[in-house]
Amino acid sequence: MTAIVSADHLSKWYGQVIGLNDVTLSVPAGITGLLGPNGAGKSTFMKLITGQLKPSKGAITVLGEPIWGNPALYFRIGFCPEQDAFYERMTGLEWVAALVRLNGLSDTDAAATARRALGMVELLDAADKKIGAYSKGMRQRVKMAQALAHEPELLILDEPLAGMDPIARRKTIRMIKEWGRAGKSIIVSSHILHEIESMTSNILLINQGRILAEGNVHQIRDLIDEHPHTVYIKADRTRALAREFLTHDDVLSLKFEDEAVVVQTGRPDAFYARLTDLAASGELGSIHEVTSPDDNLQAVFQYLVKT
Amino acid sequence: MSVSRSSPSLFGSAARIFELSLGQMLWSRRSVFLGLLLGFPVLLAFALRTIDAMYRAGLWRQINGVRVGGAAIFGLMIWLLYIRFIVPVLGVFYGTSLIADEVDDKTITYLFTRPIPRSAVLLGKYLAYLVCTTLLVLPSVMLVFFLIVPIGGGSIGAAFPALLRDFGMLAIGLAAYGAVFALVGTRIKRPLIVGLVFSFGWEPAVLLFPGYLKRLTVAYYMQALVTHEMPQDSAVSVLMQVFREVPTVATSLAALAIISTGTVWLAGRAVEHKEYVLEQ
Repeated sequence: MTAIVSADHLSKWYGQVIGLNDVTLSVPAGITGLLGPNGAGKSTFMKLITGQLKPSKGAITVLGEPIWGNPALYFRIGFCPEQDAFYERMTGLEWVAALVRLNGLSDTDAAATARRALGMVELLDAADKKIGAYSKGMRQRVKMAQALAHEPELLILDEPLAGMDPIARRKTIRMIKEWGRAGKSIIVSSHILHEIESMTSNILLINQGRILAEGNVHQIRDLIDEHPHTVYIKADRTRALAREFLTHDDVLSLKFEDEAVVVQTGRPDAFYARLTDLAASGELGSIHEVTSPDDNLQAVFQYLVKT
Repeated sequence: MSVSRSSPSLFGSAARIFELSLGQMLWSRRSVFLGLLLGFPVLLAFALRTIDAMYRAGLWRQINGVRVGGAAIFGLMIWLLYIRFIVPVLGVFYGTSLIADEVDDKTITYLFTRPIPRSAVLLGKYLAYLVCTTLLVLPSVMLVFFLIVPIGGGSIGAAFPALLRDFGMLAIGLAAYGAVFALVGTRIKRPLIVGLVFSFGWEPAVLLFPGYLKRLTVAYYMQALVTHEMPQDSAVSVLMQVFREVPTVATSLAALAIISTGTVWLAGRAVEHKEYVLEQ
């Protein structure tokens, strides 16, 4: 199978700090999940494969070509960065159209392309709203719209589900899988195994600047189930949610933080499924944001590295 | 829909960045703040006009003991307020931030992952800076012109060609200072401080003394473009004339063109090769 990304003894360091250490890999076509805790080297790897950073040592090719200093390759790549940064005064449509124009489209074509991309991420209704007024989930989706608007062969999505509510999360996962089925290659990063697992079984495990494993998700899947998983839920009615959570055995503990409830669960799959149903029904009010801190994965990685 | 997939051109890409950046730049907080700064000469001109109306004898209008007309006062304001103060300030604040703003806002990623040369981002933003600052300076200078020139019976019609030359000179000054500080912004840490020291420390200091160092300033070449005549009959001004070397207009224009294009090119090269690590 042709590799969409190949790294050969790739290293990147920032002064004395090593970001990525002697990585050799090849990423096949299809959907690939890049999984690792904060500081593992995910962001460095993402920046190297999007040509934002130059390798300190070794080489990297994307779609068969070196990416650093090769702007023409961005016709074939779409990148959705992690950072929540925009030209806030622009509407979603203006912003996506302005960025797509940089791909050489005329004003008319750029507007049409931007509309189509916003439609693909189900954001057409809010196309003429200022980005500053978008919710977290809408901001994530408009970032994805700019990445896929020009129909790239390879989509690179850096933590695309971060901060989304359960329904937006489910929709986004569905969209990513659809794009994969439509023939796009996608590299998606996350620090949450369940997110990655719901999109693909092909993963790259990264920790401390090294690729620990490439391939199937099952081994780490078993390990993570043995560790409590923390979920942070921002919602209107946190106490009602907490009462509902406590009726299930897999919830090990919970606590309140500002307008959020923080839950530790022993069975994340079951918990996320129930949470999505609750959000969809709306019976316990709106759920605005669901995040999972890194501690879960970090613990599993520490365990994995020891064994 | 047809999308060209050939190598992106520098100038076509820069034009698109220009369009994207101009609106952002015009409505930025920086422009509001510097717009207020540009209101200061207008207030000053209004005050002078009011004083002139109150004291018709015009005794206040004396420089080195010589009574001067509105056109000369306007020329003095153009040189001292605009060329020596406002233009460098605009150049420092906008020029050093052409790329830094996008880096600080973490929006640079969207521009650097598009099929355009990185230097086009710098060039497009530099062009947007030129238009933005010209649009800021133009109304201020116009208002000052109309308030000041009629003082002492000066003719607006007769002075108008000089106003057009002043606009040209201001545009050249904005281009040169903006280019120099764009380079400073891409190459040096703490570019704002370096820019302010260059404009208000280095330039005034070396212009006072004879020698070659003054050729390492923008102001040295700018002074040749000033067409307004100033009264020069005091002992100090005669002494100043001895030390004053002014290059020819042609030399100045050539030097300023080389400074502007050369520093923008070097800044573009820096952006092409520099890695921007955004804080997480």
